[in-house]
This record gives sequence, C-alpha cells and structure tokens, in this order.
Amino acid sequence: MATILVHIALLAYAAAAAAYLTWLVRPREWLVHAGRALLLVGLVLHLGSFAAGLSLSQGEGLARVGFGSDAWKGGQLFSLLAAATVAGYLALDLRYRLPVAGAFVATFTVAVMVPAHLVHGGTRAIAPALTHSTALAVHVFAAAAGTAALALAFALSLLYLAGEKQLKSKHPGRLFARLPSLELIDRVGWHLSVWGFVFLSVAIATGSFVSQESSGSAFPIAPKEGFAILAWALLAGMIQARLVAGWRGRRLALLVVAGFLLLVGTYAGLLAAPQKVASAAAALFAPGRS
Amino acid sequence: MPVLLCVGLSHKQVPIAVREQLAVSVEELPGRLARLRTLPGVREAMLLSTCNRLEVFAVAEARTAADDLLRDLGNLAAEHAITRFEDDALLHLFRVTASLDSMVVGEAQIQGQVKEAHARAQEAGACGAALTRVLSAALSAAKRVRTETAIARGAVSISSVAVQMAHKVLGDLSGRAVLLVGAGEMAQLAARELHAGGASQVLVANRSSSAAEALAKEVSGIAVGLQELPALLERADVVLCSTAAQQPIVTRELVGRVLKARRYRPLFLIDLALPRNIDPGANALENVYVYDLDDLERVAAQNRELREQEVQRAEAIVREEITAYARAKQERAAVPVLARLRQQAQALADAEVERTLSLLGPLNDRQQKSIRSMAGAIVNKLLHGPTARLRGEQGGPLADAAAELFGIQDAGQDADAAHGPSAEPATDAERGPGADVLPITGRK
Repeated sequence: MATILVHIALLAYAAAAAAYLTWLVRPREWLVHAGRALLLVGLVLHLGSFAAGLSLSQGEGLARVGFGSDAWKGGQLFSLLAAATVAGYLALDLRYRLPVAGAFVATFTVAVMVPAHLVHGGTRAIAPALTHSTALAVHVFAAAAGTAALALAFALSLLYLAGEKQLKSKHPGRLFARLPSLELIDRVGWHLSVWGFVFLSVAIATGSFVSQESSGSAFPIAPKEGFAILAWALLAGMIQARLVAGWRGRRLALLVVAGFLLLVGTYAGLLAAPQKVASAAAALFAPGRS
Repeated sequence: MPVLLCVGLSHKQVPIAVREQLAVSVEELPGRLARLRTLPGVREAMLLSTCNRLEVFAVAEARTAADDLLRDLGNLAAEHAITRFEDDALLHLFRVTASLDSMVVGEAQIQGQVKEAHARAQEAGACGAALTRVLSAALSAAKRVRTETAIARGAVSISSVAVQMAHKVLGDLSGRAVLLVGAGEMAQLAARELHAGGASQVLVANRSSSAAEALAKEVSGIAVGLQELPALLERADVVLCSTAAQQPIVTRELVGRVLKARRYRPLFLIDLALPRNIDPGANALENVYVYDLDDLERVAAQNRELREQEVQRAEAIVREEITAYARAKQERAAVPVLARLRQQAQALADAEVERTLSLLGPLNDRQQKSIRSMAGAIVNKLLHGPTARLRGEQGGPLADAAAELFGIQDAGQDADAAHGPSAEPATDAERGPGADVLPITGRK
C-alpha cells in the first residue's frame, strides 16, 4: 500500500514538474494551478505513504515508516527530503506566489525521488543502541528539514542570479516577466538560509551523538561529515556577513549556492557508501530487521 | 431585418489634429445620444469617444441608417469615416474592445472606455437588449484575450518601463523613497507613476530651491537641496535624473561610496537626461542598476514586439468568441419556433381529446386522464425528433424550414418592431425569432 502511494506521489510530482516547466515556456495561469494542485496531491499521498508505513509498524514506532518495501528502504532519507521540500515550497507559495520556483522544486523533487528508487539498503547492520534512538530520529528529520530549506534557498538564489543578470544586461529575456522582484527573492532566500542553518546545526549536533552511540566516535573523519561541517561553516559565515556587514543580493546568493552544493556533497557521500545510507535510514525505519 | 452598424474613425484614419476637433466631451454625450435615438431607422446606439477614436455602434432597421449616422457625425468626420455593416461591424467591435485596434496594442483603458460608453448610452435610453448583448460578448472576449495571452504584459512607454523595472528590483514600492533630480517632464511623469505605485516619499532636488519647491508641489514631494546629493543617495531607493548638466552628476565613485553606507540596499538609478547625468559605469556596482533613455526604450520596444507576437493568438480568441456569440444567437432564435410548434401541436391534441371525450359519453376521471395522457404522449413523441434536430442545428435555416412547414406565423418580428430600447421585451420567447437583431451567419 505504502509503495503504491509513493509511486503515485512520484507520478504527481513528475506531472507537476511538467506543468511548471510548460508554464515557463507558455505562461498559462491554469498550468500554475495544475502544478500547485499536483504537488499538493503528491505531498498528501507521500505523507499517506508514511502514515501507511506507521500503521504497519506493529509497535516499532518510526521503525517502518516509509514504503513497506525492501526495495525502498535505502531511499527513505531522500524520500523524506523530497516531502519536506515540497511542503516547504507549498507553504512559501501560499505566502508569496512563486510559481517560477515551483518549476525548480518539482524537478528537484523528482530528481531526489529517483535515487530513492535506486538506492537499496542491502546492508543494515545497526548498533542495537540505535534501535530506538531519539537522537537519530531528530538527526534525520533535522537533516531533511535543513536540506529542504537550503534547497529552496538554492533555487531562489539561482533565480536571483538569473534576474540580476537580466537586469544588469538590460536585455530582459522571455523568462524575465515570470521572475519575482529581486528584493523578494533575496528576502525569502535569506529567511530560508537561516532556517536551513538552524536545522543543519541541529542535524550535526545530533549526528555526533548518533555517531558516538554507534561507533564510539563523536566526530568521525568521513566525506559525509566533512562536507556537512564545511557547509555549516560557510552558512555561518554568510549569516555573519549579512548581519554585520549588510551583505545581500548577488554575494549572498553565491554563498547559498556554494553552501547547498557542499550539502549535496554530503548526500553524495551517502550515496558513495550505501552501508551509510542503510545505517541512517534503516536504523530509523527498520530496526530489528536483519 | 435589423443590422449592426459601425460608423466612425480612429487613429488609423486621421491624425490627432483632426481627432481633437471631433472629440465628444462627457457633457455633450447625453445630447449626442439623444440625437442618435431620433434618427430614422436607428433602434439602438452607443457613442464611443476616446482620444484615439470616435465611433458610433448602432442597431438599425436597414443599412441606409448609416448615411444618417454619418451626417450626424458632421462633415469633417464624414470625410474620413469608415462604415462597417453586420459581421464586419461585429468583428470591429470585438477587436476594439480587446484592444487589438488600439494605438498601443494591449492597452488596458479601452475596456473601461467601452463599458463607460455603454453605461452612458443606457442612461440616455439609447441602448437596448441587442446592443447590450453584443457588448457583453465583446467584453467577455476582451477579458479572455487579456488573461489568456501576454498581449497586455510588459510596459511600452518610457515612464512605465521605468516603473516596471523599479518593481522588478525593489518589489513593493510602499515605504520606498524616490529622489527626483532636475525638472524634466518625463522624470516628473515617472515620479508621479512611482508615487501612485506606492512610493511613500518623493524628494525633489534642483539647482534652484524655488524651482525645487514648485516641482515638489506638482508631484506631491518634498524639496531638498542638490548639494545634499550624497546624503540623499543614501536615503533614496529610486533616483530619477533629468538635469541639463553637461557632466554626470551621479558618478560611479559617488555611488560606490554611498553603497556601503546603504548596507548594500539596492539602488535603481534612472537617467532620463541628454547628455546623461549618471555615469553608466555605476551599473557594474553590486546592487546598483542604471537605466538610461536607450535602455528603457529598448525594453519598451521588446515589450511591444512581445505584444505583437501575441496578436495572432488574440485574434483567434476573438474569432472563437464571435462564433460562440453567433451560435448562442441562433439557439435563441430557435427557441420561439420550438415553443410555437409545441403550442400548436398541443392545441390540436387538446381539441381532438375534447371531441373524442364528447363522442365517448360519460367517463370517469381516471379514464379521461388516460386519454389526455395518451394525447400528450403522442405530441411529445412526435415532436421529440424535430425538437432535438432544431436544438442541435441551433436554429438557422432549419428553424425557418420548420416554421414554413408547420405554418407557424412569425409574429415575433411585428412585436419586435414595436420594441425600442425603452420598451424592452421580457423574454426571448416573447421577442420572437427576429428579435435578436444581429444577423450573424454563424461562421465556424
């Protein structure tokens, strides 16, 4: 049941991406409405798949949240990230009407969900201490929420850079009319970056607890952790520059882009080491399974 | 057969020097409309007078009424005026309302002007149901054109492009300060537009303080000294320059200095002067955007081109809406034929039932009811086919053939002739087939 729901959700996300991308070329208002509705439908089904997983958990709590299918176990982190990004975007869209960002978010969601299909959690050797670890649950949700916020900030930064380039060149292209004002993109992107930083801080702090519990080392030397710390440091520097020196606009957009790419490196580190994915995802979603 | 007429001229036929002589003021309008009503053969009329056109749309008994309308416009107008009949007049009305015939294609004012002209004609008792119906269809087509195409998107005048760009940089202008340096007319216009767009403060700087004060009054701003320019640049979000200075008064160095003090808040500099007042090099600075006359004109031209590209799609929508209007009109025309056909058949059936009942002698209520039901059922079954066909074909030649075949009197036309704008028929059935006066052939 959960697997079917998540598959339909993925189809809805893909259809939303198609609607938004078509809107970029042919600006029909109904395409925006369709894209928004499809994202919402996808999100509801996606959350439904989590709920279905929970209902099957048989007292294992969050242990089996997800898709109820072995093929999906390893990709649950990505799935959670996709759902958090869509939810964040829909909340933003409700407040600011940002269909052009929807084109990015829907495409990003599909791109994130596809690895969720591909990654298989074959090895799930979990330290018994992590079976019901609160730190792990907080870590995973904070990581997903932080990445989602930064993904949205990244999308807005790209929009900012595109809009700024067109304004500076004095040759506004066809997409120019669809772009929101630079001030709005900058403001919303800044808020999202701050939230992303806060969640990332929580994810790193709880991650070290999890690592301590599982391997005995609070700060293991690995690409995943290294990228996460670098992203965190960059975002901290960016926030400081904005608050103290008043940096904004292009500089800030470039820093957010760099910060998000470092975070992508963290996930690439996860993908490069499937057993890590398993240890993070399977521990949260399927403890007790061999 | 009543016809739709359009008599008049627009910017396409005559220059502004002629149009300004012909323009009809709001005060004159009721008198002109009253005069139109009295013209022989004119049933309904509406006068559309804008800075780009003077046109009369009318529903008349015959095409010959156009000559009277032309004479009424006066000799000067008659020299240049164009007369359109029926389908041409209808297409013209739809295109005018959709802003496809405007000087600036896609401009928004024309819809309001058409609505206003209609309201005035109604107030004067010159406009009736037929013209109202066709105007409503034209306005609905115009709405579709505006929402489904990009014909109205993008500013096309220098001052509105400046405002559009300011919105693109700064978003909502409320709480923003606009600095107007110099007294150029275009800069004043842009400052007013920015103020109307939400800018909360307009600061006016000029070499002479008296000139600054006079200008500040005109644009509802505050006069400030030009010597305070660096401090003013720290405060303002949009700067409009149009002085006669021969050298740039806003240099890249000056902007670079104030930028840090502004904490990199975006600054939009608009240079409407020749020679330029703002160093174009300032555009290279972060969060600073410099637009001069050429830049604004380039954007305006690009927007105009974009609008032109949308014209074909807009024309297609207009054609679709005209077809829909024609279909609806024909459907309405079929309804009276159906009603009379059914009425006639039912009357025959009722008469036959009464005759049969009198021949059969005393019957109880149930038996009488059965006979009446049987007669009703025969009528329904007999007319089911023709009714479906007439509705399906939406009237037209089939409705005429049915009327001819069943000997249905076209009483509607006589009734309609008596209905002027002030004697409005209550329903379509009451109006009869000839009541909807516009003779559209229903192109598909």
